Amino acid sequence: MNCQELKDLYELYALGVLEAAEKAEIEAHLARGCENCKRGLADALALNAVLLGIGPAETPRRQLRHRILASIGYERPGWFWTGALAAMLMLALAVWLGTQERERASQLAEARRQLLQISGERDRLSQAVWFLSDPDTRPASFGRGQEAAPRGYVFLHPQLGVMLIASNLPAAGAGQAYEMWVMPKTGAPRPAGMFQSDGMRGLQILSGPIDLDALDAVAVTVEPEEGSAAPTTMPIIMAPAGD
Amino acid sequence: MRLLNLIPAMAAFALLQVALWRDDDAGLVRRLKAHEPKAMADLYRRYGRVAYSVILRIVRNTAIAEDLTQETFLHVWNRVGLFDAERGALGPWMLTVARNRAIDHIRSQVRRLEANAVDFERLERPGRFVGLEESALTVDCARRLKRALEKLNANQRTVIELAYYEGMSHVEMAERLQQPLGTVKTWMRTALEILRTELSEAAIA
Repeated sequence: MNCQELKDLYELYALGVLEAAEKAEIEAHLARGCENCKRGLADALALNAVLLGIGPAETPRRQLRHRILASIGYERPGWFWTGALAAMLMLALAVWLGTQERERASQLAEARRQLLQISGERDRLSQAVWFLSDPDTRPASFGRGQEAAPRGYVFLHPQLGVMLIASNLPAAGAGQAYEMWVMPKTGAPRPAGMFQSDGMRGLQILSGPIDLDALDAVAVTVEPEEGSAAPTTMPIIMAPAGD
Repeated sequence: MRLLNLIPAMAAFALLQVALWRDDDAGLVRRLKAHEPKAMADLYRRYGRVAYSVILRIVRNTAIAEDLTQETFLHVWNRVGLFDAERGALGPWMLTVARNRAIDHIRSQVRRLEANAVDFERLERPGRFVGLEESALTVDCARRLKRALEKLNANQRTVIELAYYEGMSHVEMAERLQQPLGTVKTWMRTALEILRTELSEAAIA
């Protein structure tokens, strides 16, 4: 098929509803860098998005925001969640008193939530494997030979970013978290994300291209849980990029 | 048929007042790439409602829609490193991921996964969302497209609904509607042509 014949199919391809033969035709054009098909697909993605955005506006419960932010470690359960937990316990009691079918539905919902958490962890691990398997990744160690200090590696990649793996890293105190910093040779440290330790180990990934020539070191400080724009404590990890 | 009964109600749908392209999306993407937790809060403020609305329209269950919305945001959070902050269209990517999570869910419910697996990961790769026409992603364009959608005939609206909100192929639609495959393809081709033209004219205007 030529591009003219494919022009009616880009939207359906982007939706994943094309039959295998038509899908293969478009993918073959895209694989050989066909500009018509790339333009057609970009326009189709725009049309699909606008069409999806036309519809009944629904408002999710406020708890959804808390759930999403909690899932990345941004918000911890507070009084609001204590109330929600109490409500859930009462609901669980009602479920227990109800039919076996409802109990099973509740268990399934819980399993699904756990699966989401596991899925998030799996994604992080898969990112880590990606980092480690790329030949352009450059490792640098820190804390080697020091018994008490956190030790481990940072992995630097010009396109993938920075990954830090630390062991011997105690849990941050209450209301605190670890913050990674990218320290340029000149200029101020740049925040590179918050993370927690499980009591022994910590893993943090800053995704995205990074100028390794301008990078002096990767550091970690203890900061308030909501993060800081600039370090407020002395680094507990300082890994020189040129190590 | 349940779906056909729902179609006339489309005229009464409230429009989601969300621009799918904002000049400050690039800054938000850069902060997401740095895994700034506050950026996730901003992403949710910007696209949480529209993502949830799209998902709920597909799965029609608020508890499942919340789970899938959470899954959508985690997916974006974990893959934003591959997104082009300067040229990428964040809104369309978010809605595509949201829609695909919901379609994946309903497909698994009716056991269509094994029969006709869809590689959504491939279709929603962040790198695909570059080069989209910014001027087509405005609220004004959405309004015009909604009016054009309402002007489609019932058959055309039905096939659009089945593809976008039920994830059906031409063959599956032909079976569901008990119509010849060629007829279904014609309805779809005509409907998309009308919508495509409308959006393109709206973007220029």
